[in-house]
Amino acid sequence: MKRLIVRRLLQTVPMLFFVSIVCFILVKAAPGDPVRSFITPNMHAEDIERVRHNLGLDKPAYIQYFIWLKNCLTGNFGYSLVNHKPVMGQILERLPATAGLMGSAIALAVILAIPLGLVAGANRNRWVDKLVNMIAYIGISLPLFWLAILLMYFFSIKMHWLPSMGMRTIGVNSALDVIRHGILPCVVLAIGFLTVYVRYIRSSTISQLKEDYVQIQYAFGSAKRIILFRHVLKHVVLPVITLVGMSMGDLVAGAIVTETVFSWPGIGSLGMTAVRGMDYPVIMGITLFSSVLLILGNLLADILYGIVDPRIKTTR
Amino acid sequence: MRKYFSGVVILALLTMLVTACSGDAGNSAAPSDASSSGSSQTTGDQPKDGGNLIIGVQADPVILNPNYAGDRVSLTIDQALYAPLFQVNNGKKTFYLADSLEPSADNLTYTLKLKSGLTWHDGEKLTADDVVFTIDKILDEKQNSMLRGNFIIHGKPIKAVKVDDTTVEFKLPQVSPAFEATLVQVTPIPKHIFEHEADIEKSPKNNTPVGSGPFKFKEYKTGEYVTLERFDNYFGGKPHLDTITYRISKDANASNLALQNGEINIKYVDPQDAATIEATGNFEMKNYSEGRLAYMLFNENSDTGLMKNKEVRQGLSYALNREELIQVAYTSPDYADPAKSFVTPDGLYHDNNVTTYDNDVEKAKELLQKNGVVGKTLRFIVTSGNKAQEAIALYVQQKLKDVGVNVEIQSMDASAFSDKFTNPETSDYELTVGGYIMGFDPDAYSILYTTGSDSNYAHYSNPEVDKLFQEGAGEADTAKRGEIYKKLQETIAADAVIYPIAYTKTIVAVDKKFGGLDEAVLKPVVIFEDPSKLYQK
Repeated sequence: MKRLIVRRLLQTVPMLFFVSIVCFILVKAAPGDPVRSFITPNMHAEDIERVRHNLGLDKPAYIQYFIWLKNCLTGNFGYSLVNHKPVMGQILERLPATAGLMGSAIALAVILAIPLGLVAGANRNRWVDKLVNMIAYIGISLPLFWLAILLMYFFSIKMHWLPSMGMRTIGVNSALDVIRHGILPCVVLAIGFLTVYVRYIRSSTISQLKEDYVQIQYAFGSAKRIILFRHVLKHVVLPVITLVGMSMGDLVAGAIVTETVFSWPGIGSLGMTAVRGMDYPVIMGITLFSSVLLILGNLLADILYGIVDPRIKTTR
Repeated sequence: MRKYFSGVVILALLTMLVTACSGDAGNSAAPSDASSSGSSQTTGDQPKDGGNLIIGVQADPVILNPNYAGDRVSLTIDQALYAPLFQVNNGKKTFYLADSLEPSADNLTYTLKLKSGLTWHDGEKLTADDVVFTIDKILDEKQNSMLRGNFIIHGKPIKAVKVDDTTVEFKLPQVSPAFEATLVQVTPIPKHIFEHEADIEKSPKNNTPVGSGPFKFKEYKTGEYVTLERFDNYFGGKPHLDTITYRISKDANASNLALQNGEINIKYVDPQDAATIEATGNFEMKNYSEGRLAYMLFNENSDTGLMKNKEVRQGLSYALNREELIQVAYTSPDYADPAKSFVTPDGLYHDNNVTTYDNDVEKAKELLQKNGVVGKTLRFIVTSGNKAQEAIALYVQQKLKDVGVNVEIQSMDASAFSDKFTNPETSDYELTVGGYIMGFDPDAYSILYTTGSDSNYAHYSNPEVDKLFQEGAGEADTAKRGEIYKKLQETIAADAVIYPIAYTKTIVAVDKKFGGLDEAVLKPVVIFEDPSKLYQK
């Protein structure tokens, strides 16, 4: 197990290196110029060149990359080209908002998806299954920004139950207030995750029900409910672990659309601003940060696999 | 049977959603923390103290330091946080930190008198030292201030010299009537805060700004809001409101809902949304000129060479109708005034009685036929998602089709568009839409129309225009200067360098709970010139 972890961690190094190169090339290849955010029509050409030089943007792209890489290795992820604040500071400042929102959305989705998927799979082609399937299809097809506006309109504007925007009431610093603000975006995101999870759990339930151990339980006369929740559940949780592991990247990358619509001060909206302004240090910072989390999430999923299903451990 | 069933469920779900959004406004029983739902119309017009105002903004401020602020949001917040020296409205000066500004007889020295007893928000005295420090830092090449270019006249800097604690002298290298317009943009920053900072732009001190305006910094939650609170020692008198909060909301639809929900009290609205907001009856809709010109640009650099020909530009202009264009792009003439001159109405010597080529299909056909444009295809670039630009492009396409010219609309994302628009080498398009806000002194326009200038996006070149701009910049006699700029406006209009469409207006929705809008003076970009005058009814 230890060897597995060490080996996987070592694998991440070239992977991150590769990710950073691809990301850098993409940013540089895209049209646009970060210096543009500084220039006004009143600026003279030499002033613009001076700004470009002061930012180090007059050097060839590959040199800019190596400077960036060198700084990263010393723990300096650079400064935003737009507001000149340290990149890592900006990401960490917004991390709690995004991680909290995404974490609770994923948790909510998993909690709802497991019973729904199990029941749907166990009642294949019956009305419960149809209903769950249909809700899943609607959930997948609904544009989340539209759903967000709709929920906002109903719960905030019409019913006045929940605030429509932001993470806090101005000047208030209480956990309860943050939770009240988080309900709507969390539900919207959870619906997004839920619909995918349910489909996985349903098909995995269907295939588990054909396994010998289930047939034997049936033969022994166990109740269906007991078979499902005591025996099948364990196996069905496996794909969920993978799915959640893969969602780890989202935990930090944030949800651009949902965060924007609800004015949630997370990394998603930071990323969008950075992309618009060609602010490559920030773009690179967010990409790397979420890549690390994604890789770690997958590693964690593998380890958990080993714990939940010992067969996997022995085959490695 | 099963299929039928799921159909019913879908229907049921849809009706649920539909009723959810058509629900009547009547059931607003418990407006929990939404403070403004039923605006009680007690028109006690006497300004009252107290109250909190929330202004919706589209983004985080980039930097709360007036030497660097270039984005709308930073400029808006800075207007409440930092007091300017003076402001100019319709040619009239309103003095803030300054008491007077007098040119010398030879117009080479301007003497600025500050009010006495001014203080920064932290209690330190605001003196001539701060003004001189601010100008020095703008001029310092290491400090990257984007205002620097304005303080250089023909390669020589303007010098600021302290005479005594409340007097500063500005020495100009040559006569420049546009100097006042330059000084309007200057807002002193505190010397005692930034004196020892090597790079002011990167200084962490910008995170807790110390200003001199009616409101002082209280709290900034990244991505959420910036709150300012009343500064009791403001020289213009104690402000009425307790706090102003700038709430960040990037999504226009969501922030319009928040406005109706009372979570935002004031925000810009698009012409398309104005009617919906107004219909709620809770908002006063204020339209006011932004000092901005929206125009169609002829790219004279285009590889077809067609746009270099004055008659082609005139012919294309004849095919269009300005009123229709305004209707199409801005939904109503209420939101845009027809434009003919390149100088905006707030500018000095503005004259809209200039030659215009408009609405004459026969003349258009004749000129275009004569110059061999009929049957040709022109490329029109627009920013995808920019409603006004797209509407204008479609209208022009339709109108030019009527006179036998094809238009191919090329839609691209904002950064690709601005690359093409600003790069002087770009030759693969003929038409596009642009807009500018240049301030009140017409000298500012020289960078747009003089030969070889970086911002001459039309790539127009006329030695007479170059000469007139040069004369205007150095002419101290107001009457003579006025003549020069009148002539310039006529020449550029006659040459059909651009097709001026409209002087666009800003629409601001203000919750009826708040008053003092006229005293606070509505202003382009920053919304209010002096937010200390706003009050809650």
